[in-house]
Amino acid sequence: MSKEPQITIRKAGRDEVDFILSDVDMALANSLRRVMIAEIPTLAIDLVEIQVNTSVLADEFIAHRLGLIPLESEDIDQLKFTRECTCEDHCDKCSVTLELRANCETDETMNVYSSHFIITSGNSGLNLGHPVIRDPLKKGILICKLKKHQQLHVKCIAKKGISKEHAKWSPCAAIGFEYDPYNKLKHTDYWYEESVEKEWPRSANADWEEPPIPGEKFDYMAKPDKFYINLETTGVLKPNEVFNKGCSELQRKIANIVFELSKLEKQQDGINLENNGSSAMYANSNNNFDDYRNGSASQYGGQRTAYGGETSYGGSGTQYGGSATQYGGGNTQYQDQGSTGRW
Amino acid sequence: MSKPETEDIEMTDDNKIENVEGNGAENEEAETQVDRTKITLLPGATSDGFAASFQIIDEDHTLGNALRYMIMKNSDVEFCGYSIPHPSENKLNLRIQTYGGITAVDALHKGLDDLSDMCSHVEEVFSTQVAAKDYSTEEP
Repeated sequence: MSKEPQITIRKAGRDEVDFILSDVDMALANSLRRVMIAEIPTLAIDLVEIQVNTSVLADEFIAHRLGLIPLESEDIDQLKFTRECTCEDHCDKCSVTLELRANCETDETMNVYSSHFIITSGNSGLNLGHPVIRDPLKKGILICKLKKHQQLHVKCIAKKGISKEHAKWSPCAAIGFEYDPYNKLKHTDYWYEESVEKEWPRSANADWEEPPIPGEKFDYMAKPDKFYINLETTGVLKPNEVFNKGCSELQRKIANIVFELSKLEKQQDGINLENNGSSAMYANSNNNFDDYRNGSASQYGGQRTAYGGETSYGGSGTQYGGSATQYGGGNTQYQDQGSTGRW
Repeated sequence: MSKPETEDIEMTDDNKIENVEGNGAENEEAETQVDRTKITLLPGATSDGFAASFQIIDEDHTLGNALRYMIMKNSDVEFCGYSIPHPSENKLNLRIQTYGGITAVDALHKGLDDLSDMCSHVEEVFSTQVAAKDYSTEEP
């Protein structure tokens, strides 16, 4: 890339940042968008123990509502994923416990808000788990309403997670992502009755671009390079944190692959030296790599048995069982088409 | 293999104790097998190593498209493409073919490094822009 990526921040607020990301490819801009939506760890209620619920709402209905409450996640890095924690079920290192006890004793209907939650786990010193409150009256989100003598007692366990698993963990309420407001690249086709200009009002971002010259030839080599991004958070993280965490999360994914790739290289170098890998488990990759290095005559001979399920994969039935047939099918395809592959 | 055993272990406590004493090492081996390798080499590599296909587990378009683009930016690379063969399997297949100046594995390494550098750069630019305070703010 000849030019370096640039950023112009247009507006920033407590829960929002509006910026232009320019001189990057769409692939990278989109990766950042996707990673910010789905892969930044945050905190959300995951387990709900309903102790008393005499409200009109069903237990599971309330549990679902509780899961969607945004919880402050600034110190999320200090918390472990429960699956990576050494504890039996969950502990203060991998979860935050919130409790709510609401009793309505008056004739007036009682509103139960997210601000009524109390953190009862030992990690309350961290900036973690407090319900996000954005309304002027500082009440938070309405969870349910109680009539006289109705009660709601719940104990919630909030855990660290990512939005790929459940959208409640997304730090983003929305990400506006626009490019080419004049549609010069013809990536979209506007439907209209009489006039495109009249029926499709121009985006505000059009002011930041050169209008198309009437009668200009279509530049089929042109590529989008200016992305108007409006990042809006749910309040669990600051918007600039979301962007920074998005970048580092993408880098973490890359680093993980770099690490695993060097492991693969090392492993295969080792097997290559031994020539006939003693471990049956590696038979598949071994043969594969022999082909890759030495170019044996029967290039795919090795894979057939390995994928066929007769040797190494046969025993570990459940582990590879599901995908075994798929591999079988895929493999024949490779064989038919030779070394150029199916791509 | 020891897979059927591990299934039993998970079902009853008696077996679990037995396993810790008896074949704990084997159990550990089974666990490492469950931990699937992140990246594997697919069939279809040329003998010279200038073309190869990889399969990456637990990755999607988020990484795939940006990585594909980064690898294609390398002038030694003739072709790079990716596909997600089936939407319900979290697998990503990546094909790299080079002109011969570099092996496919090295091209992948370079692509990953370049992408990581690009992320660092974007993050840095963003942080400096945030610090520059050259924008309108809306504080509640």
